[in-house]
Amino acid sequence: MRVYILKRLIEIVPTILAITFVVFVMMQSVPGDPAVALLGDAYTEEDAVKVRLEYGLDKPIVVQYVIWLGKLVQGDWGRSILSGRPVLQDVLLRLPVTLELIVLSMGVALAIAIPAAIIGALKQNTWADYTATSIAMIGVSIPEFFIGVLLLLLFSIGLGGLLPSSGWVYLPGTCPTIVCAAGLLGNATHILMPAIALGIGRAALLTRLLRASMLEVIRSEYVTTARAKGLAERPVVLKHALKNALIPTVTVMGLQVGFLIGGAIVVETLFAMPGIGTFGLDAIIARDYQQVQGFALVTAFAFVVINLLVDLTYTFLDPRIRYA
Amino acid sequence: MRSRHRNTTLLLATIVLTLLLAAPPTTDAQTPKRGGTLRVSYGNEIANLDFHTAPGYEMMWVAMNIGCGLLDITPDGKFVPDAAESWSVSPDSLQYTFKLKKNVVFHDGTPVDAKAVKFSFDRLMDPATKSGMRSFYSAVQSVEAVDPLTVQVRMKQPYAFFLHMLAAYRTGLVLYSPAATEKFSLEDRKQGKPGAVVGCGPFKLVEWVKGSHLVMDRFDKYFKPGLPYLDRIVIRTIKDPITEMAAFKNGEIDFIASFSPEHVDTLKAQMPKAQIMTGKETTPMVAAMKVTVPKDGKPMSKERAPHPIFGDLRVRKAVGCYGMDRKEIVKIAFKGQATPWFAMAPPGTLESVDLNYLCPYDPAKAKAMLAEAGYGPQKPLTFDIIADTEKSVFNVIAAVIKEQMGRIGAVANIRVVDKVTWMNTALQDGPWDMYVEDLLSLLTIDSNGYLSNSTSTWSHPRHNDKKVDEYYDRYSKEMDTVKRKAIGKELLEYMADKMYWNNVSGSPFYMVAQPYVKNYTYNAEFEVHWYTVWLDK
Repeated sequence: MRVYILKRLIEIVPTILAITFVVFVMMQSVPGDPAVALLGDAYTEEDAVKVRLEYGLDKPIVVQYVIWLGKLVQGDWGRSILSGRPVLQDVLLRLPVTLELIVLSMGVALAIAIPAAIIGALKQNTWADYTATSIAMIGVSIPEFFIGVLLLLLFSIGLGGLLPSSGWVYLPGTCPTIVCAAGLLGNATHILMPAIALGIGRAALLTRLLRASMLEVIRSEYVTTARAKGLAERPVVLKHALKNALIPTVTVMGLQVGFLIGGAIVVETLFAMPGIGTFGLDAIIARDYQQVQGFALVTAFAFVVINLLVDLTYTFLDPRIRYA
Repeated sequence: MRSRHRNTTLLLATIVLTLLLAAPPTTDAQTPKRGGTLRVSYGNEIANLDFHTAPGYEMMWVAMNIGCGLLDITPDGKFVPDAAESWSVSPDSLQYTFKLKKNVVFHDGTPVDAKAVKFSFDRLMDPATKSGMRSFYSAVQSVEAVDPLTVQVRMKQPYAFFLHMLAAYRTGLVLYSPAATEKFSLEDRKQGKPGAVVGCGPFKLVEWVKGSHLVMDRFDKYFKPGLPYLDRIVIRTIKDPITEMAAFKNGEIDFIASFSPEHVDTLKAQMPKAQIMTGKETTPMVAAMKVTVPKDGKPMSKERAPHPIFGDLRVRKAVGCYGMDRKEIVKIAFKGQATPWFAMAPPGTLESVDLNYLCPYDPAKAKAMLAEAGYGPQKPLTFDIIADTEKSVFNVIAAVIKEQMGRIGAVANIRVVDKVTWMNTALQDGPWDMYVEDLLSLLTIDSNGYLSNSTSTWSHPRHNDKKVDEYYDRYSKEMDTVKRKAIGKELLEYMADKMYWNNVSGSPFYMVAQPYVKNYTYNAEFEVHWYTVWLDK
């Protein structure tokens, strides 16, 4: 097991290098010049040349990438061309917000998907099954921003400001800035709508997947045996069937993290949250290469690590699985 | 019976009168109250906090509250003192003398004296600073500290808008503490490192966390007695207008610094008590047409050739003048809340004139002109319109223009791009035919020089007509108001006649405040000051 984990951890390095290189090349290929964004209405060609020289933007792409990598291994993630802020500082400030959003939206997704899928599978071809399947279809079809706007209209405007429309309140004791709001209730009220907006789409997908998986599992011989042994339906479903049915779902959950990061960009923008999603979006729009690299690095790392954790979860769900 | 009734009435009246007299005086709603936090929302992120170089209004509105300058300008165009107590101009207009107030200090405690003023002037004029304001200081010969409280500015030539420029071109002159500026690096200032951004304004910077918030606190040693009233200002960026409106309705924010015109009617209907502030339109909404292209194919080349489509004045006039129904554009894109406007300087700009009569909507004439230029059913005029994604109104205007072009037999293809791509294409002489954008808010016609003369990088159409530069030069040098107005009119007419600049309309600017936000003086984008604001909560 240890060898397997070590092997997977080593594999992370070339994966991330490849991702960051591809992102670097792609960003440089996109039309747009960070010097233009930096100088704005003060732009002159002479000043732009000076800026490019100052930030090494005049060098070949590969050279720029190697310089970036060289600094990275020394712990220097570079500075934003536009704001002058250290990239690592901003990433560390914003990452917890997005992590909380992703974890909770996955929680929302599972909280909806598991019961809906169980009901759908156990009551196949009944109104309960059709309802669950229909809701899942609708959930898959509606984009995050639309759900977000509906939630905003309902809870922030319609119900007299029951939930705050925007901003962020940190969990107690996690304030990373001089001035910031912190509190458990404040945090909960601020994360609720974004987590639902982001989680509903995933819930729908996971419901469909888990339902199909459950249908297969509850018809398998070992479940029939369990029932024949006189086990109550509850342990049969929750202990025997669900655990096995979760394996493909967990795999998809890992892959869904990528979509969640993408969705976080939309949701964070809508709810004006200071997360890594808005950080990445602003960086891409401003062609702030250093920040884009920071964004790519952290999201790639998160994706790879979460998928590693997913693979390790299999051993818990199915003890027959062993990694050598 | 009647007497008893009269007695009862008298008694009731006496009781009411007594109660009124005995009741404690109610708080006068107009007496300013100290304290509180003003929560402001921006629609865009602050680029950085080096006030002399950063782009964008978002930075400027921070600079106007952290920084102080020599003078300000009121909404009716009067100059009022800021850190300068008074100023005088020599008869030949070649020397300005500013007397500074005695009690003005920077947030680091150092004095705002003549040396500090000279320092800021010199910094802005230094090419190494790369300030967008540099071109406006080209008339300045030198700045001298005569004594600790007297600054003398010598000019190379008269500049009629020197005071306008110091007051409100972009940020106006923002004075920097020499001590702090020398101690900290540009990078420190850009990121708002504590102690690096030091002005002499009513609020001092506490913290800027990009993507989250900017906090300014009351500066207790601010030189205007009793001001500011607020203890703190917190600025947040809410990019989505629907969320911004929800936050405002919810009472999460007190002040929206730039409100989308398309949501004004909704807000009025939903929150009738909200203060919706607007005024003269000073920002041009442009449908610019490229006039020349590089002859050698190298962007920014000085060797120019006429643009293959809009290099022909007849085509520019057919499309931009007679073929464009400005009233319809305003009706659809702005729901009627803008002024159809053809002249280069918008209706609210000082000394602007209405030239709409020069371009009546006349599709038949437009068609005829296109035919004269060689376009028709066999060879339809086809061109691209770039609309960037910064504001949805650009896309709407582009769509209406496309429809109107169809009416004159022309084909317009819309290219939607992000802001930086547009800036890149337009600024770096890239391939484009027409773009829709609202450019910088114009206090004066003069302030549009760097967007429309023949040598400016920002003159995107890249006309190479030196006569335009001569007009600007004469206009800015002329100190006689009547003569200057006449030159200004000539300049606008010349730009219109040559179609070097093609306005669709003015671009309305809205600010929104909660009913309890008191005493804010609306002065468009030029002067955004919160030091007089107080909260009647």
